[in-house]
Amino acid sequence: MKRAPFNETMSGLIVPIAILLAWQALAWRAATPLFPGPWQVAVSIWKLYPQIFGQIGYTLMRAAIGFLVAAALMIPLGILLGRLKTVGAIVEPIMDMLATLPPPAVVPIVMLFAGTGDMAKIVVIAYAAAVPLIMNTYEASKGVHPMTNLVARSLRLSRLETMLHIDLPSSLPMIATGLRLAVASALLVSVTAEMLLATNGIGVFIQRQQENFQIAGGLAAIAFISVLGLIINNLVFQLEKRWLFWHYRASETHNNG
Amino acid sequence: MNSFRVFDLLLRFRTLISFVLVVAVWQFVASLGLVPEKYFPGIPAIASGFWAMLKSGELFNAEWRTLTRALVGLAGASALGIGLAILSDISPTFRRGFAPVAALIQPIPPAALVPMAVFMLGLGPKLYTFIIILVTVWPPYFNGVAALASVSDVQIRSGQMLGLSRWEILWRIKLPAAMPEIFAGVRYASTISLLAVVVAEMLAGHDGLGFLLIRKAFAIRIPEVYTLMFVCALNGVVMNAMVNALRWQMTGWHIRMTGQPA
Repeated sequence: MKRAPFNETMSGLIVPIAILLAWQALAWRAATPLFPGPWQVAVSIWKLYPQIFGQIGYTLMRAAIGFLVAAALMIPLGILLGRLKTVGAIVEPIMDMLATLPPPAVVPIVMLFAGTGDMAKIVVIAYAAAVPLIMNTYEASKGVHPMTNLVARSLRLSRLETMLHIDLPSSLPMIATGLRLAVASALLVSVTAEMLLATNGIGVFIQRQQENFQIAGGLAAIAFISVLGLIINNLVFQLEKRWLFWHYRASETHNNG
Repeated sequence: MNSFRVFDLLLRFRTLISFVLVVAVWQFVASLGLVPEKYFPGIPAIASGFWAMLKSGELFNAEWRTLTRALVGLAGASALGIGLAILSDISPTFRRGFAPVAALIQPIPPAALVPMAVFMLGLGPKLYTFIIILVTVWPPYFNGVAALASVSDVQIRSGQMLGLSRWEILWRIKLPAAMPEIFAGVRYASTISLLAVVVAEMLAGHDGLGFLLIRKAFAIRIPEVYTLMFVCALNGVVMNAMVNALRWQMTGWHIRMTGQPA
């Protein structure tokens, strides 16, 4: 990690500070509680943070469960489909179609079968996370180099062993991309699902704030979501770098060479 | 040889085959009666729901509004994202300052923004524009910044040697070189923009596909709900095709050269 010189850090602060000041100025001009400035939002964060923490816990828990369910089902399925070329070729258009269906659009149907409880939300989240996972896994395992297949055959690996020891590792870099997209979309959809199927969680908290015309409170909750999203996305990226160091090292030397 | 031809034929019509397969499996499951027919109607019921909505003009109206919103939003957001990426490329100060702002705004779900934005922007087109742009601008921006920064030195130096100014280098060398990657971002953005429109319509709209979905669901008109979901997915296919056509227009040289899309 190189430490940035002091000057650079300062110049990096200009744009965010300018944006905050412009926002505050606009808020002053509007002079209504319906358009709070950053100062009011900061005050609301200070007042509401215990409540927000509690609600965000529910949201995170559901997002995590939905994501894990999707990962456990879709990665093996993607590898299997990549291996069975004919089946894969026929299923591919269906996947493309599902990929373009916005996850919130499945909410009404899920509501019919699973009601509005935790189960329904987890299903919606799992669906949202499943799409990037299966697309990436399938694409990666379809594109595994044919030579590796021949190696597997000459080593007399069984089908299952081939999938486990050859297809999975060679697809991992793309699966990792899929995982990163899936985490982001699980977080995104978990808030949406809560707002449409209200019981508890940060989405419901935001809606309550809206109903009481507490815009600053709602923005405070959004600020929490954004920081949390930033932390989680970074964490996933760091993990990816650590576990897939072999891939990054190889592609770096490849680029230099 | 013969079996190869059969496989080739299969591949060519695979979209049709998979569509027929889905319809067949759907009808089979529906007629098994494991799930109440009310919740899982057969294909004829869905088709007649589709036809009824088509005849009343309801479907076309909603579809037109949603698709226009998504396309206009996508175009605006892509232009803005590319503009911001160029600005970041010109000014390192702007890039350093804007990076944390982008990183903070990017994870905010569109659904969370809708209730707050309603107060500030009302329920009109301003709301849709704001929501879509705020969610959709990031993939073109991030890809643009990365691509502009990674244009090869050799190309830039060749430009300098030919006596091009900074602007000409940006406009005629860096931007075209970055286009394939930017388009990958735009393609991803097109999916998100559709999602954002549908969410905004579900939560705060009074027309469009998202609104219709919620209304039909609460009226328990299930065949119509399935129809609307199908139309939503079809929209994604349409937008994808449009973006792909535009990409072919603008970066066809790259696809032809590398033999595969970026």
